[in-house]
Amino acid sequence: MINRNSKILNSLGVALAGLVLVLSPLLPASAARLGTTDALNAAGGVTIQVQALDKLMSDNQTVRFWVWCAGGMGGGGGGMGGCRIAGPILELGVGQRANVSLNVMMAPQESPPYQGHTIHWHGLDVSQTEDGVPETGAAVLGDNYSFSVDSRYVGSHMYHCHVHTVKHLEMGMYAPFIVKAVDGAGNFTNVINSGGPSYDYEWNLMYSSVDPAYHTAVGDSTTFADYNPKYFLINGNEGRSQTAPAETVTAAPGKKVAIRLMGVQSVNTSFEIKNAGGSSQSFTVHNKDGFKLPATQTLTKLDLSPGQTADVMVTLPGTAGSWYPQVTFKNLRNGGSYSNGVVYTRLNF
Amino acid sequence: MQACRQSVVKRIRWLVCQSLVLSFLVVLPHTVYAASYTLYIRSGTHTINGNGGAVLKVWGYTDNSTAAPMVPGPQLQALEGETVTVTVYNQHTIPHNFVVRGITTDTAAIAANSSKTYTFTTPKAGVYLFSDTLNNNINREMGLYGALVVRAAGGVKKAWTGGPSFDLERVWVVSDMDKKNWNDVAGAGGTVSTGTYKPNYFMMNGLGGFDAMHDPNSVLQDTTGKVGLLRIVNAGQFDQSLHFHANHFQIVDKDGTRLSSPEPGDTINVKAGTTAMVLFPLRKGIYPMHIHSAQMETANGVYLNGVATLLVGN
Ligand SMILES: [Cu+2]
Ligand SMILES: [Cu+2]
Repeated sequence: MINRNSKILNSLGVALAGLVLVLSPLLPASAARLGTTDALNAAGGVTIQVQALDKLMSDNQTVRFWVWCAGGMGGGGGGMGGCRIAGPILELGVGQRANVSLNVMMAPQESPPYQGHTIHWHGLDVSQTEDGVPETGAAVLGDNYSFSVDSRYVGSHMYHCHVHTVKHLEMGMYAPFIVKAVDGAGNFTNVINSGGPSYDYEWNLMYSSVDPAYHTAVGDSTTFADYNPKYFLINGNEGRSQTAPAETVTAAPGKKVAIRLMGVQSVNTSFEIKNAGGSSQSFTVHNKDGFKLPATQTLTKLDLSPGQTADVMVTLPGTAGSWYPQVTFKNLRNGGSYSNGVVYTRLNF
Repeated sequence: MQACRQSVVKRIRWLVCQSLVLSFLVVLPHTVYAASYTLYIRSGTHTINGNGGAVLKVWGYTDNSTAAPMVPGPQLQALEGETVTVTVYNQHTIPHNFVVRGITTDTAAIAANSSKTYTFTTPKAGVYLFSDTLNNNINREMGLYGALVVRAAGGVKKAWTGGPSFDLERVWVVSDMDKKNWNDVAGAGGTVSTGTYKPNYFMMNGLGGFDAMHDPNSVLQDTTGKVGLLRIVNAGQFDQSLHFHANHFQIVDKDGTRLSSPEPGDTINVKAGTTAMVLFPLRKGIYPMHIHSAQMETANGVYLNGVATLLVGN
């Protein structure tokens, strides 16, 4: 179920970036995925579990997260793997049926009334029985989810736990869910939305914010009345400077890259792409919340509030270089940036 | 998969499983259709019910000279192009004002124990925030805000004259209050230090989520497939990111700017002091609408007693 060729390409890593040009004639019809490669086909029978993950932050503090792990027929090697913040990526073709099990047998969890976990398919507009909301009837001690979506949904969505969301979302149980257009044979195609332009590469950037106090508080604690984020992540990583980015990826010059922006942070954000000289590069916004915009927008800055997604595209320059896509995290009162609130990534070409 | 299974185990906070019992007769208790309104500015208390709730000291507009302040204030309604007169009596001990954002411009104070009459013509259909703009946001934070609904000519069910149609509508005034640092202090006559604002109450039409999920004026409920027009006013100090389960909406108006081509979404950021209007087609079942920002889902930390309500397709 994984696109094996793109996985191999990615595994060559940044050091072999120069080879990408050489290899690109071998690229399959499916575009290359930049960054993490643990995407699973949700139609392939995926089992999701929850595990604790202790992460050492840049200030040497350790924060405990609860993260998704995946296994099943689509998963790497059959066992549970890919336990990380903002993973694993799930993908689903239009008209295909997602079949995902949530197993919470070994999961870290809270005490009643907030025990267990669920999966909410954020943006996929599934029926009440699949919505993952305990208060409207979702099972919290394990569940199977089955749903399909039509072509309007081609784009970026998310999945996350919806038990005691004020805590559980913060704990790290979130990841991208990408809906793909399919060809006549049911294979994924590389279009940004139904009828939209194609891309050569795709790159998921999932934003989150971390208030360490929320990671230790439980139940109806007054801690949850006040949010003081201290760390800001893209794909689960801090990236406080261009020289220590949250993620570095490499694509070929002149190619088109779909950048999928997904916001599960609890504060406001704006996305920009800077070149090496610091000037803002324009990009084209095709989808908002996984739905095609009535007209594309060409921007140099895009705000995403908590829970929003956007699909943007860029065409890389024809000569080698680097761009620095970055996200500024801003408070909800007056839009001021948080300290250490800019997270950098790096896109080499 | 199996609806209802969990609710026996979990704390039941929403009416689920058994059909949600909501009156189909939506009562708008404080709505008066008239070209002229009288409002009174009063101090008093406002209660958020349920776990985490509290009694907050507030200042608010009300439609009764001897009653408690209302949070939000009485809903004002008018038709597109209608001339509206609002007389405001300040029965409080400090100066206040009354400004309809985007319509009126007189920000001068109404002194304590005096009144002022505002006359304006509604420029175009939509939803507007009215509030007290004085005192460095303190007066608005304390509860002096509400919504003016301006309907299309003839009161037809269109977002504006010639605009997109809807079947039912709700007005969602969302807001926040910092009990400890602002309401307790200002309510006791003290000086608020506005540099610090840590709201711990987040309201939908003045209610915590536990109430708002049963409030017929907040819950969007009707036959599956009906299209609801949501007139959203963020009267608070924090931007609010409203996430809708069940369906994507179409944004038709962003803070008074009509979109000729509606924009789709499942989450809308309504910035503090601004408005939006979205069309939402109801889907069969019971689904939440909630803020997607951590603490704003809570009342003083208690989950789902913040800004939340339900979207119900019968
Ligand atoms: Cu959970
Ligand atoms: Cu969500």
